[in-house]
Amino acid sequence: MKNQDTSDRFEELEAGRILGDLVPSEIQDWKMLSANPSNQADLSLELAAAALDAEFLTSEDTVLPEELLKKLHNGISEFVKAENEDTVLPEELLKKFHNGISESENDVIVRPTRWQGLLASSKTAWSIAALFAVLFVAKSFVEKTPADPGGLMATAPEKASSSEARKILISKAGDLIQSEFGGTENYNQMSGTVVWSDALQEGYMSLTNLPANDPGAKQYQLWIVDPGRDEKPVDGGVFDISTSDGTAIIPIRNPLMVTNPKAFVITLEQSGGVVVSKQEIVVALAKTS
Amino acid sequence: MVLLRVAQGDERAMEQCITKFGPLVWSIAKRHVQDHSALEDIVQEAFTDLWKSAKRYNPAIATESTFVGLLARRRAIDFARKESRRPQLEPLPDANSLPHASIESSATLRCESEDVRAALKELPEETQQIFSLHFDEGMTHPEIVEKTGLPLGTVKTRLRRGLIDLRNKFRRLDSGQSPSNP
Repeated sequence: MKNQDTSDRFEELEAGRILGDLVPSEIQDWKMLSANPSNQADLSLELAAAALDAEFLTSEDTVLPEELLKKLHNGISEFVKAENEDTVLPEELLKKFHNGISESENDVIVRPTRWQGLLASSKTAWSIAALFAVLFVAKSFVEKTPADPGGLMATAPEKASSSEARKILISKAGDLIQSEFGGTENYNQMSGTVVWSDALQEGYMSLTNLPANDPGAKQYQLWIVDPGRDEKPVDGGVFDISTSDGTAIIPIRNPLMVTNPKAFVITLEQSGGVVVSKQEIVVALAKTS
Repeated sequence: MVLLRVAQGDERAMEQCITKFGPLVWSIAKRHVQDHSALEDIVQEAFTDLWKSAKRYNPAIATESTFVGLLARRRAIDFARKESRRPQLEPLPDANSLPHASIESSATLRCESEDVRAALKELPEETQQIFSLHFDEGMTHPEIVEKTGLPLGTVKTRLRRGLIDLRNKFRRLDSGQSPSNP
């Protein structure tokens, strides 16, 4: 398929995704095409659909049920409180995370119970409701990452364009966050940086000396710690390292909006990524604050 | 600009937001979700999202109602996807698992109500009809097939290409051109 045909096909599938009418074979096509860096969906089709909704559904005749309206107004103080609690959590989370990595030289595994125990703290009904919704989304989104039948996710073809895109991001983002990756014990030869912009919802990892993986067996997966969004880390995409030499530029593929991320964590997971990481192999961590 | 005040943590502005956009959020949720208690949850979650996301609202990118509509749409569609998976014993790896696009500054579609109407009028008549049935009357694809007698594939294609076409017209409007200019 020619580039233009591929681009047109991806755009049509993207419209189907937003309209919610893709059939399974189209979903497979969408996944394959979306892995190609040249098929970068922006928000414009979704904004167009939202503009249509706003146009057709904004009516003076529509009223919220009285009980719901009360709940919403009463709920304001609750989610303001929840957000304030959330802003405290990351430091504690990261402290635990670091302790998990460093407390035993032979144990580079951050056990699931540490994360889960920490995340078991009580929250308001609103944030719990939001959590369940987001967890489902995170679960389903992690499942999205396909095998790479067409080699579309290979590092090499992506490298040049991602590198260029990273430079552009660094030059244009007014809110750029930059942080250094530190490898855990088995990965202490690696180094890297992550750059991220909330405003642009775009970010890249620059990773050096990360061991090459066999995509059919294991794949690297990025997790973004965004306590404002959810207590559990958000999927940042599955990626491969094709060669241990040199530096790979990996774009962050966050399916959910991320705001003020507190950390970026790389794990090694089964091929295709996982829904919820057991953090059995934590590769590297970059704290932003 | 009530969202800008919400972004600054103004709780009073959030109250105004609920009053102003509550009906829109409710209507969008109703389009995708039938269960009443779930509907209420989605509306609350959408406003929670709004409180958290308002600081990322950029008036140059979209109108306030489009921004709010987008958040509500995502919440509602996410829920609908979850519901469609519920009867499955094992999750279907390929279904209902597609991510949202990331926000990019280039995705500017700041079209006002009159712009939307103007752009809609530029669409082919048959696409306008299907858009009206889908977005205005809230019909599902099978309902549109039944109403119009068109094959399902035609309905899907017209909706998808119509959305792309409309997005392109919005972009031209944003750049100060007529929506019909190539």
